[in-house]
Amino acid sequence: MFGLIGHLTSLEHARAVAKRLGFDAYAEQGLEFWCSAPPQIVDEITVKSLTGAEIKGVYVESCFLPEMLASNRIKTAIRKILNAMAHAQKHGINITALGGFSSIIFENFNLSQLLQVRNIQLDIRRFTTGNTHTAYIICRQIEEASRKYGIDLAKAVITVCGASGDIGSAVCRWLITHTDFRELLLVARNQEKLQQLQAQLGRGTVTDLHSALPQSDIVVWVASMAKGMEINADQLKRPCILIDGGYPKNMENQITADGIYVINGGIVEHSYDINWKIMDIVNMAAPARHLFACFAESMLLEFEGWHTNFSWGRNQITVDKMRQIGEVSVKHGFRPLIA
Amino acid sequence: MTLEIDYHSPSYCDAYSRINAIVIEGEHKAHDNYLTLAEMLPELRADFVKLAKMEEKHKKGFTACGKNLNVQPDMSFAQLFFAELHGNFQKAAQGGEVVTCLVIQALLIECFAIAAYNIYIPVADPFARKITEGVVKDEYLHLNYGEEWLKQHFSTCKSQIETANRQNLPLIWKMLNQVEQDAKTLGMEKEALIEDFMIQYGESLEKIGFTTKEIMKMSTMGLVAV
Repeated sequence: MFGLIGHLTSLEHARAVAKRLGFDAYAEQGLEFWCSAPPQIVDEITVKSLTGAEIKGVYVESCFLPEMLASNRIKTAIRKILNAMAHAQKHGINITALGGFSSIIFENFNLSQLLQVRNIQLDIRRFTTGNTHTAYIICRQIEEASRKYGIDLAKAVITVCGASGDIGSAVCRWLITHTDFRELLLVARNQEKLQQLQAQLGRGTVTDLHSALPQSDIVVWVASMAKGMEINADQLKRPCILIDGGYPKNMENQITADGIYVINGGIVEHSYDINWKIMDIVNMAAPARHLFACFAESMLLEFEGWHTNFSWGRNQITVDKMRQIGEVSVKHGFRPLIA
Repeated sequence: MTLEIDYHSPSYCDAYSRINAIVIEGEHKAHDNYLTLAEMLPELRADFVKLAKMEEKHKKGFTACGKNLNVQPDMSFAQLFFAELHGNFQKAAQGGEVVTCLVIQALLIECFAIAAYNIYIPVADPFARKITEGVVKDEYLHLNYGEEWLKQHFSTCKSQIETANRQNLPLIWKMLNQVEQDAKTLGMEKEALIEDFMIQYGESLEKIGFTTKEIMKMSTMGLVAV
């Protein structure tokens, strides 16, 4: 059994979803109520692999909302994630992916120090951030989108915004190892971490977003932000590929100019339909087939019987592990989504 | 995350005088309620008497916690605090409504006690922490006893559980509101207490046989009006 811990994108979204699922008791409530709402298993899932294997899983709604971080309710956010993890573990789930902000909260607020949740000692081996698969899929999206939109990678300038993060740094490592490109621009809020990353990589130029955008053929957005980023299309080259690795995804609606191609970053397409409600709820274009790569990672770990925290900690993702998860991703029928 | 609490400050001791009294009174009422249940279900008398004895032991433990901090528990506040819920239990007992009595004592009160004790343990003084850690383990056993009985009789008592929930859960929220400030002084957030209660209560209702939708509806009953 695999698990997915997720959350909705806003209070408004949460209310609409509760109504749609027939959870009327939650549908009309304000933020105060959601701050006290317990985690719930709201979807049961069966996934079939290209190999013919079939696995079962559940979706755990943590009832975390980004507004909790935006209004500085840190203790609430922490409680939501720990309670959702305890809920998953109590239900005997072998491997659970921490989707959306869940893994960011776990890392940023050092929840590895708070693993005793009531009478449950969280076993971190049962959880994965899913970031290795997300990083792998984003790298594949860079390669495939550049082919599709006629950008020669060997001559391309690639900017990674959020480069010092777990996914961003993994993307940089993969690009340096696997991809022939002209220049790699590293952008992040934390300059110290960025300098350290550059020293480790031995390549790449540290710069700011304002300078990076006009030079970039491909921009990868993997910065964690409670609210979306506003980008002016006039700043961008034509053609330009934007890989939106954020959650919620909002670039597609925001930037519609000719020659600018927005890809939903870190999203995979499965070879078979999955009978579930949750991807419809998060507005995937083809909800039966499209899903977050981090969620797919817990499915892959279940298919392979790798019941371990494959992706864990910060900036630990190696190119070898990306290759390893990439191989089983292909084997079980997942491919990067190129919209 | 570590809170600096002065367990001997006047404000802490003042709040503790009420919270400690509630806990002592709650354990005392639990003792009496289980003895009443022993009379109502004579075939399970030995079990209920055993549970009652454990509650009496808890009462002694919490009385020691107050003494350890030199705090005099405000027992008249605690008796008033439980009056309405206790009145409902007495009324149900007189009417022979075993299901209602079990919902009040073995489900609602035990779930609330577990939630409150779990939230209290990380912020308790070292003496009280040790006592409370022991108590909470027992309370899980008591809750389990109620769950099992209600699960076995689920097909015949489902609507009675729902009615008892509707009549009594709003009282729990009201009681929580009454001590919100005192609990906060002790380092316990109302929001966390509600969430832990809903988690524990939801798990119990699930074990008994309710669906997710029913649980959501039942566990939020009366919450918004408070």
